[in-house]
Amino acid sequence: MSENQSTVEIARQELEKRFNRIVGVSASNLCAHCGWCVDQCHYYLATKDPTISPVAKAERVRRVYKRHHDWLSRIFPAWTGARELTEDELDAWVEIAYRNCTLCDRCLVNCPLAVDTAQIISAARGVLTAAGKAPEILVQLADAGIAREENLDFFKEFYLEQLKELEGEVQARLGNDQARIPVDVEGARFLYVPLSGAHTITPAATIFNAVGESWTISMFEAANYATYLADIPKAKRIAQRILKEAERLKVQEIIITECGHAYHAMRWEAPKWFGGPLPFRVRSIIEVLDEYVRAGKLHLNTTANPEPVTLHDSCNLGRKAGLFEEPRRVVQAAAQDFREMTPNRERNFCCGAGAGLVAIPDWQDMRLKAGQPKAEQIRATGAKVVIASCDNCRHQIIELNEHYNLNVQVMGLAELVVKAL
Amino acid sequence: MGGDQLLHFAEFELQIIALSVFALLYAIKAWTLARLPMSWEAAPAKGSPAAGVAYSYAATVVPWMMDSSTQHWTRWLEFGVYHVGAGAAILSTFTLPFTPQLMIQPIRVLFAIAVALAFVAGAVKLWRRFTDPTLRVVSTPDDYFALAAVEVFFFLTVMTLITDAPGWRLAYFLVTAGFLFYVPFSKISHYVYWFFARVLMGLRYGRRGVIPQTGETR
Repeated sequence: MSENQSTVEIARQELEKRFNRIVGVSASNLCAHCGWCVDQCHYYLATKDPTISPVAKAERVRRVYKRHHDWLSRIFPAWTGARELTEDELDAWVEIAYRNCTLCDRCLVNCPLAVDTAQIISAARGVLTAAGKAPEILVQLADAGIAREENLDFFKEFYLEQLKELEGEVQARLGNDQARIPVDVEGARFLYVPLSGAHTITPAATIFNAVGESWTISMFEAANYATYLADIPKAKRIAQRILKEAERLKVQEIIITECGHAYHAMRWEAPKWFGGPLPFRVRSIIEVLDEYVRAGKLHLNTTANPEPVTLHDSCNLGRKAGLFEEPRRVVQAAAQDFREMTPNRERNFCCGAGAGLVAIPDWQDMRLKAGQPKAEQIRATGAKVVIASCDNCRHQIIELNEHYNLNVQVMGLAELVVKAL
Repeated sequence: MGGDQLLHFAEFELQIIALSVFALLYAIKAWTLARLPMSWEAAPAKGSPAAGVAYSYAATVVPWMMDSSTQHWTRWLEFGVYHVGAGAAILSTFTLPFTPQLMIQPIRVLFAIAVALAFVAGAVKLWRRFTDPTLRVVSTPDDYFALAAVEVFFFLTVMTLITDAPGWRLAYFLVTAGFLFYVPFSKISHYVYWFFARVLMGLRYGRRGVIPQTGETR
């Protein structure tokens, strides 16, 4: 940030940079303020606060865009509610963009005019990031992703020790002391990219060993917190680490662990950032598990999972990335009693913790409140096990379980499969 | 200018001027939008972008394709009635002066009924905008004015279709011209942007296999 530029000036410039065709259409007179989106938003349903309905949130940003891009708003702003961007307005945007919206897209699929509120809010996030007003913890987490590459030697030794320990667990589970968590294997079919938790490594490693897969584990974690900040240059750098590793190891595919935003970013957004298709096929481990099930490579015993199981459609995996049937086929192959939530697939409710909210402790109250529709959905299924194939959703549902006394067990898809091996 | 000459001017010359301005303003808007940067989907497709666009358009009119329609079917019906009536009212601005032979009595009555129902739906919308706190918080003077102005337009359409009296007819065409000048500046423009927004949504969701869902894995 240059010293002679005010925060508001920087924000204004950034706002203009983000005025692309999607934002341009949705920030124009497309929205008729009909209110159809209002009760489709988990925040509104949980709080009944009209100021945090999708249309109200988008309007706070839209009216600033209108002030500079809409003919009538330029001449007579009071007539259309158009406003200038001010420091106070920017401060109000922090809660609107980072606390009161999880960019879940549910309002988009329920809007008769297809107003893309998430894109407008995402533009606001980018503006706040550029103006230095984004939540500090998200900035730190994004920077940590870059720091890991810059200091890989420092992390590597400790990481390899951890992997060795986890390898022992895999061997014990499979009764096979030849089972491995391979590192730096050139020419492997898969580069598997986990998160920092063991629960994203051990189950996948167990399954890969069980089917005799050719794979190697990434030195990096899949998480890309810069996407939450709408900071594309930083998001590219974080994605680039994995692409460089895949290139170095000459693997065929990059497999992203059960993480919604990481998969969405690498599968669908990264090709846009890099200006074309990636040189590797990118899949989620969910798709790999589905491939194994359909090919008969996994011999699963459903009696190992006798309790009713339900599946949470993560917004980043489902509504934003099209993974709907793949996890369902795996759950049905691994459990006896699968129960759908209502609504589901592209109509599903966000868990309430998306878009980085789960990482911000100060906003836990709102996060748990916004998770109420999800909690009610889970309770209505009568399920005892909830499959959450996104780590953020998983953490949130674990907390919702306690907060709303749901009495369920929350696990990932790979964990369910391992139980049925 | 006599009464007949004024009516003729309002029905023909004024409409053509207003329509030309209307078309020019929208051409400028479309050109401005087309110049904005666009980051197109670049990842290998999972689904069909074309099918996504078709599905996206269908979702607006098929009541079971969105929860917001299914859960509020009376509101969806009101939306349908309102827009069918608006279509009939707009069509009348062309057929009454330019193809009067088509506007036989049964057609006039049919159109009048459609527009009258839209007038009622509009009144409900206006009442809701004043009373519903979730709408009030986002409503601007343009929102109230647009709804009220359309109500006036609907009323004059019905009166012209029923009576065909020169006075109603003159008022109808003057208001129509006024509309043509105002609409490109106001929120009533949503129907134009809707075409673009549905395409953008359909291309993205279709390519990603979000809509329509086929269960395929690619």
